[in-house]
Amino acid sequence: MRDESPIPLIFKAISVITLAMLAIPVVIVVLAGLNAGDYLTFPPQGLSLRWVISFLTSPTFLSAYGISFLVAAISTVISTVIGAMAALFLTRAGGRVVAVLRAFFMMPIVLPGVVLGLALYVFYVSSGIGLARSLAGLVIGHVIVTCPFVIATVTAALVGFDRSLEEAARSLGASPFAAFRLVTLKIISPAISAGTIFAFIISFGQFEVTLFLSTPNLQTLPMAMYVALRYSFEPTAAAAGIFAIVLVVISMVATSRLVNLKRIFGG
Amino acid sequence: MSDIHLKNLVKSYGENIAVAGIDLHIRQGEFFSLLGPSGCGKSTTLRMIAGFIRPTVGQILIGSDDVTRLPPEKRDIGIVFQNYAIFPHMNVADNIAFGLKLRKKSHEDIDRAVAFALRQVGLVGYENRYQRQLSGGEQQRVALARVLVTEPRILLLDEPLSALDKALREEMKYWIKDLQKSLGITTVYVTHDQDEALTMSDRVGVMQKARVEQVGTPQEIYERPKTLFVTTFIGQSNVIDVTVRGRQGERLSVDFGDSTVLTRAPVAEVSVGSAAKLVIRPENVIIGAAGAGLSATVVSETYQGALVRYRLSVAGQEIVAERQNQAHLARFSPGEVVGVSWDPDRSEALVA
Repeated sequence: MRDESPIPLIFKAISVITLAMLAIPVVIVVLAGLNAGDYLTFPPQGLSLRWVISFLTSPTFLSAYGISFLVAAISTVISTVIGAMAALFLTRAGGRVVAVLRAFFMMPIVLPGVVLGLALYVFYVSSGIGLARSLAGLVIGHVIVTCPFVIATVTAALVGFDRSLEEAARSLGASPFAAFRLVTLKIISPAISAGTIFAFIISFGQFEVTLFLSTPNLQTLPMAMYVALRYSFEPTAAAAGIFAIVLVVISMVATSRLVNLKRIFGG
Repeated sequence: MSDIHLKNLVKSYGENIAVAGIDLHIRQGEFFSLLGPSGCGKSTTLRMIAGFIRPTVGQILIGSDDVTRLPPEKRDIGIVFQNYAIFPHMNVADNIAFGLKLRKKSHEDIDRAVAFALRQVGLVGYENRYQRQLSGGEQQRVALARVLVTEPRILLLDEPLSALDKALREEMKYWIKDLQKSLGITTVYVTHDQDEALTMSDRVGVMQKARVEQVGTPQEIYERPKTLFVTTFIGQSNVIDVTVRGRQGERLSVDFGDSTVLTRAPVAEVSVGSAAKLVIRPENVIIGAAGAGLSATVVSETYQGALVRYRLSVAGQEIVAERQNQAHLARFSPGEVVGVSWDPDRSEALVA
């Protein structure tokens, strides 16, 4: 006998509609990218790999994809290190300063990207320290945006972490650093990996902050897609979208393998 | 030598004093319990010996080495935590090998030591299990094995039985005691459970409010409590208000109602006419026919299987008496007038 479902039908219906609204744009982009016609239309006029090949042979899009990947890779590494250390400090240090610091670190999540991008742009240009229109400047922007996600996932793992495990390691002869490396780091590493992948996805798709910091020769994929759609209505952008989606899906699958996502979202 | 000296050990957190000056000598090979209610400072003391808390004032010596300023990893100690702290990302064998790997032992030595430790704690065949696949008792054995393979100078146990159910607790109590005895390792055991402390220890230190109230063998602690706290925290006691009449050598005579009774004299000086507490365990109160000893009225009788418990009213104060439930012993019913007496050597006078 089946248990009676505890979820009312109306909630199920809402879930299905929400899921559809999330999934349909993805399907549209994929189909549009496989369009056989000349313009970005839906429904597609037949299926072909024409625009996918166009993407793979386009110097603009390919280099944008490469730059997005590079920026995301560099800022993810930096975010992971800074974010994990910040999470460690925020969960272990006491006092009033910590609450203020936590709010400060989390601010980029609530702050509109446009505001952050504008602020960074004005700062770079007016301070004249050579960050304006540079890869380093762009990476800094992405680190600021992605760091809170690493902090959040690692904090979630550290909050439930039993400190007596570290103490046990110490009493068995481990130095503070060895205890951290052999016990704490090993136990929270799935959460760090999850944070890393989130950071990568966020950075790869980042638009608002990038809008202010990128230049024509430092164009990320979202920027290139945006520019392409403004001046020509070619499906190459949609084909590029397919490759972006593929990357994100691979990352999400990898994340779910590494860590129980329920734990992070508190489900 | 691996005895432990605590010299004027103090730990304060601002205004809060967790440990207020402890002087203790824990002897080589001894099973020593720190017993007290929660918040009495026993765990803080243990954590200072382990090196997780730095004392505000005082000194800790293990053998002849002053370890006060040493970090835990340099103290050569083994500690078992209340929750056992088994590393969840390692199997049983790797947990036990942890300390040996840090000591850079060879593979063969580690394998041999792990196999020996598993035999010692009765967990042969558990090598590849993980923490989530172990019961509480098994985790405790792993925690002990993990500590013992490193051959620490002293063993520290922080309420290791409190997370187990009652039946297992009984079993582990004797198992730990036997293991400790066969190894002859100096052991400090922290507990709030008087039963554990009395059963397992060579000596017990009873703590209250950041201080050690009394140190002694379980028998001394139970039979010759020095303070009211000790006598009421460990087991049950009748505490009766009396007035001191005079000292007669080892004995003190006190006025209890209209009668004068004898009790063991305290070490401290007591002045005639001052108030004191007469302390007597329920099992030492002898109930007899009316006229034998003090006159008492039975208030209630409670049947407890092996024991029968009486509440008696004597000169306006209540005394609880327990006697074995044996066929040849008479039973008394409420309202009955009886005689109550006790062996003066089985009672204490404490100055309040």
